[in-house]
Amino acid sequence: SSNEHKLNFKKSKEACLSYIQDALLQKQWQRAAEFLTCYAESLEKDYSREHIGPSEMIWRIGTEILWHHSQSSMKEFNCFMEQMKTLGVKRYLKVCLEHVFHLLCNGQIDEAYQNLSLAESWRFGEQTAIQDKEMKLIQAYRGLLDYCSWSKQKNILLEHNEDGFSDLAVEQEMHGYFRKAAVNLKEIIKIPGVWDIFVKCYVDLLEFYGDHNEARQVLNEYAYNSKFPANPNAHVYLCQFLKRQGESKKSLISALKILHDIVPSHELMIDFNTMLQKSKKRKKRRLGLEVIFAALDYAGWKENAKAWSCLARQVKQIVISEKHLDWVKQEWNSRKDWWPAFHFSRYLAKRNWQENKSLSHEKALVAGILLGKGCKYFKYVSHQGSKAQLKRFRMLKKFVNRHNPVYLRISG
Amino acid sequence: MEFPAALFPSYFGAGPPQEEGGSALVAGWGEHGQVLEGGTGRYQVQPVFVPRRGATGERWEAADAAAVPVLLPSAGCWIPSPAPQDILYYSGLCRKLRAGKSGATLDFARQLGHFFVDHPEDAFGSLGRLLHKNFYLGNSKLKVIIPRNSTIRMTALVEDIDRLEARRGCPRQHLASRLRWFSHLCRDWLFEVPLGLLADCLHEELMQQWSNLLFDDSLTGGALAWLPPEDGESSVGCLVHPGGQAMNHLYFQDVVLEELPRTRGSPAQFELSGRIQQVAAARVDGQDFVGVRSDYHCGVWRVPSKRGSAPTPLQVIRTDVPASCLTVSPHLPGELSVCTQSGTVYLWSIETGLQQLRHDPQTMFFRDHSPWRWSDFTAHPRVLSCADRTGLQCLDARAPRRCHFDLFKVGKEAGCQQGERVVLPMYLGRAHPSQYLVTTQFSMYVLDERLPLVPVLKWAHMMKAPPLFAQLMPGKSGRSHKVLLGASRTQELLLLQYWGGSQSACQLVGTPQKLHSIAGCLQHLPTQLPHHHHLLQQRLAAPAAGLAATLQEDGSHKSMLIFQLSEAGDVFCQRPPLEEAELQEPCANPQPSPAVPSPAAALQYRRWLRALSRACREPPRHTWPPSLSQRRLFSRRDLEGPAGPSSLQRQMRQQLRQTMEKGGRIQHWEPLALQPPPLPQTLDPAGGLDPLSARLTAAWVGDWEQWWEERTSFSVAQRQRALRERRRRQKRAHGRRSLSASFTSSLTYQSELSELSDTCPPLLSPSRPPILSQEGSPPAGSPPVHSPAPSAAPDEALLSSQNLRCHGIPKERRKTLRDYLSVWTEAPPEPPEPTGSQASQLCIPSSQSQLSSASQPRRKRPRMGF
Repeated sequence: SSNEHKLNFKKSKEACLSYIQDALLQKQWQRAAEFLTCYAESLEKDYSREHIGPSEMIWRIGTEILWHHSQSSMKEFNCFMEQMKTLGVKRYLKVCLEHVFHLLCNGQIDEAYQNLSLAESWRFGEQTAIQDKEMKLIQAYRGLLDYCSWSKQKNILLEHNEDGFSDLAVEQEMHGYFRKAAVNLKEIIKIPGVWDIFVKCYVDLLEFYGDHNEARQVLNEYAYNSKFPANPNAHVYLCQFLKRQGESKKSLISALKILHDIVPSHELMIDFNTMLQKSKKRKKRRLGLEVIFAALDYAGWKENAKAWSCLARQVKQIVISEKHLDWVKQEWNSRKDWWPAFHFSRYLAKRNWQENKSLSHEKALVAGILLGKGCKYFKYVSHQGSKAQLKRFRMLKKFVNRHNPVYLRISG
Repeated sequence: MEFPAALFPSYFGAGPPQEEGGSALVAGWGEHGQVLEGGTGRYQVQPVFVPRRGATGERWEAADAAAVPVLLPSAGCWIPSPAPQDILYYSGLCRKLRAGKSGATLDFARQLGHFFVDHPEDAFGSLGRLLHKNFYLGNSKLKVIIPRNSTIRMTALVEDIDRLEARRGCPRQHLASRLRWFSHLCRDWLFEVPLGLLADCLHEELMQQWSNLLFDDSLTGGALAWLPPEDGESSVGCLVHPGGQAMNHLYFQDVVLEELPRTRGSPAQFELSGRIQQVAAARVDGQDFVGVRSDYHCGVWRVPSKRGSAPTPLQVIRTDVPASCLTVSPHLPGELSVCTQSGTVYLWSIETGLQQLRHDPQTMFFRDHSPWRWSDFTAHPRVLSCADRTGLQCLDARAPRRCHFDLFKVGKEAGCQQGERVVLPMYLGRAHPSQYLVTTQFSMYVLDERLPLVPVLKWAHMMKAPPLFAQLMPGKSGRSHKVLLGASRTQELLLLQYWGGSQSACQLVGTPQKLHSIAGCLQHLPTQLPHHHHLLQQRLAAPAAGLAATLQEDGSHKSMLIFQLSEAGDVFCQRPPLEEAELQEPCANPQPSPAVPSPAAALQYRRWLRALSRACREPPRHTWPPSLSQRRLFSRRDLEGPAGPSSLQRQMRQQLRQTMEKGGRIQHWEPLALQPPPLPQTLDPAGGLDPLSARLTAAWVGDWEQWWEERTSFSVAQRQRALRERRRRQKRAHGRRSLSASFTSSLTYQSELSELSDTCPPLLSPSRPPILSQEGSPPAGSPPVHSPAPSAAPDEALLSSQNLRCHGIPKERRKTLRDYLSVWTEAPPEPPEPTGSQASQLCIPSSQSQLSSASQPRRKRPRMGF
């Protein structure tokens, strides 16, 4: 009966698919390709109402094979993609995007641009939400490529300027690219998402044409709109912009403070700490200590010599001046039960000494102040240092011994 | 801790997942996802774009033909966990009716029946004892001697039940009114445990078993750990794995890494009080801490990195609710995190004990029924992640209520599908301090704590079963990180590579690669006898229970070492080497995996097989229908019943038949050997005896009372009459005794059977009274209408009431015992073939036997005795 036929067909289709899957997972591209030619038959009798139909399967599998097959060429790939675009209306934009991505990754920028323009002009009935998103992406990528062209023209122009020429045609062209890029880039960054490259490009364009207010607004929106994800880069871009604009320290510090609140382990925290340490205000120096302590809480900073030297410097300052020991005490309070095992174990002393002497010097100083001269880390490092007859380790020992009572005040 | 200067573009939205659900077989192929300008940032020359997925990665060859066993199987056979057919309702009719419908029917009634039969004392103990005298199970009518008003006859009821049993699965089965009446009457009081409560418990247990069969999350994380050699100084690592029949022994086995890993010395062994579900390990300050989770206990061991030194057990905690997670801190020595199914997350420190971080029986982001919870560490040693099926949150242990943030949500944020659930989260600290892996049944995600909720990497893994195990092999100095995903039921192993997270955005590189499963080695084992092959197949296909992996470098030669543990306790390993010409143009057909195992592997297979056959000499029980050891109930001599009629008996029977046909009678049995042992006193007139002998003789024949009367009576006539009377009685008694002595009840029974089958083959012929209408007891002397099911025949001798009576088993118990034993004979789905000589003796056509078993009570009433 026809029903049975359907069932059998379905079964053999499934079997074929699982063979293909097997071949793909074992990188047997040739075998997969041969099975795929059989699988193409399933297009004729597509009874499925599944989420992913046979045409999408063929697109996905075929693409994967053509990526890896040794005998495939870009021409074949393009040809296959064109066929796939006509196969399903629902997926047209998606396939276009993927095609463009592949062209871009293979350095065929112009072909990619053409494809993007073609895709942009595609219309079919009412767009679904997903298609809408895909269309926006297509436009954004076209904007990005326009920006690339603009940037190229800009560089040519700058070179010419250096040589003393001025080329109106090039300038005209450049402005054309700017307009095209700006329109598309502006659109996508309004929608919540991660748009790092688009934002960067757009801000670059705006800054070049002197529209700093718009740039600042875009960056503020990207960093502080609660509908956007908490992307550290958004804050970094804002800080970089503020720096470029030569804004006041205050606004830079407030931007960095927000970054510190959302990502205490960000690499900019060292700069932030240095900036705060230099400040004359007590409150800011206090914040600097907090920042560097918080950064060193993270496993990724464990062996960061720069961070340790920042902390060592500030703690040393505090100990020498004997002011604000309570800051250190407060920071240490929430860490004293786990920092010794996390940072100042004998094992780490040994390893740090072997791998990075200056790191162990800074750490030993901090350990000696926070835990006293009896602490394992300090004892090991100062012992090794005196054995190796290194001057700064002798100084370190002297310093810690002299300021040993501080330890009691901090831990008490 | 750098953060990539630019991330791949992606949309971000909040809310429930919108994409339609469904696992697609090919969803992971053919997509670059997004591209990113990855060049210098100055667009003077051609910009360079990199894809999110699809860049070339390292190429790992297929190592050997298949995975190779590392450990020899331990003694004692593996007891497989229940299979679907054990708890599901299977019937041809049922299947037909349900065709097209998904969903399974639990065989609740059968399991409840099993309970009543297996544990009658627990089910009916006290009332059974109380009612013992009031239930009568005989065939004949109630006699006057039994107090009629307080005793009821249960035979018919039992027959009704048997008939119901025979009509199992019949859609038109109606409850016999008698049964309905009885159950209505006694449902409330007959059961030791109230029936409703018992049924609830049983149903709950069945549901539990079934959901475990569908997806067993207790194994999440895996029960295998590899403690690598310290900083590559030596080549001796340590494999921590469970073993023993109940998987409750913990082994620390030193393993030397050579071409094939080789065990060294005997393992350190610990016996635990529960099945080991998870073994987690982390190295802190040069020491390995190994956490072991069983359902109600978690323990932690410390293993010095110097191999050969004994592991030290440090601490054990007990939980009231099964623990679902145990992870070991990679930051601080002796810190672990524990989750229980009640929704509690603890930070467990060896020094300071348990600290409760969260207690919430509800799931975090939306309602989900699963009590599974997970927890792991993050880049900050005081911040722990805690997960349920709906997502992940990070808590600060110093202020768990105030300081927390969402790391991952099943929803639009991560582009999840409908129905997607978190299966296994894992901290990827060894690859990048702030990276996290989250697997669901559809996809794998890499997250960065610094950018919560937005996955930096997402890929549909296309595995057939959800990945319960994951292993990370961090790539040093710019090489890709390898992530290995493993599924339990299907034993799938998938190798993925990614890089990035610091200077550049995360990229999935290379193509995903399938690795060998344990079951795949079957074809490379030497040929076995068919049934051994079947057993082997079953053992090798046991669900995976753990995964461990490490990268191994000797000189320029790099390879990956992957251990896989199965539920049967086998540990297999494979060692795919890195293809030397890596990062070159992809070739169409890479080296296919070798067709035959290397000689070393072949040797290992043979050794393993030999050890396996030694360990499981007696075939494992589970392949046969469950059988009951009768040796414990009866002595061997009891069971040595006549296996079949001897030639002598056959001769007798024939003689009997002939005589009956002629209508004559047998004066005496010809073969003298069959004569009963002569009575101590023969039929000599009593007169010649001395008084004592006469009295004893009278007592022997049971007429002692009469003898006394004779002694006291003076009437000659009376005495003469009495004498005659006694003579007659003696004669009769003699006859009866010889009959009963020459046949055991079962033999009589069998002879009748063979007669039946000889003379009237169609049992259900119209001339016979319809069997199903036979409700009450048959009229005395009517021909036997119940044909016994042939499968029950071997037990009948055992179950005959005479036999039971002579073992001193009280009447009530006999019934229970018979029911009990009969269960074992009817357990297999097909009626087993009668064995050997019996089959030839019974000569019942098999079709008929099936007929009778379908339409008649299976259990035969004993026909003599009552």
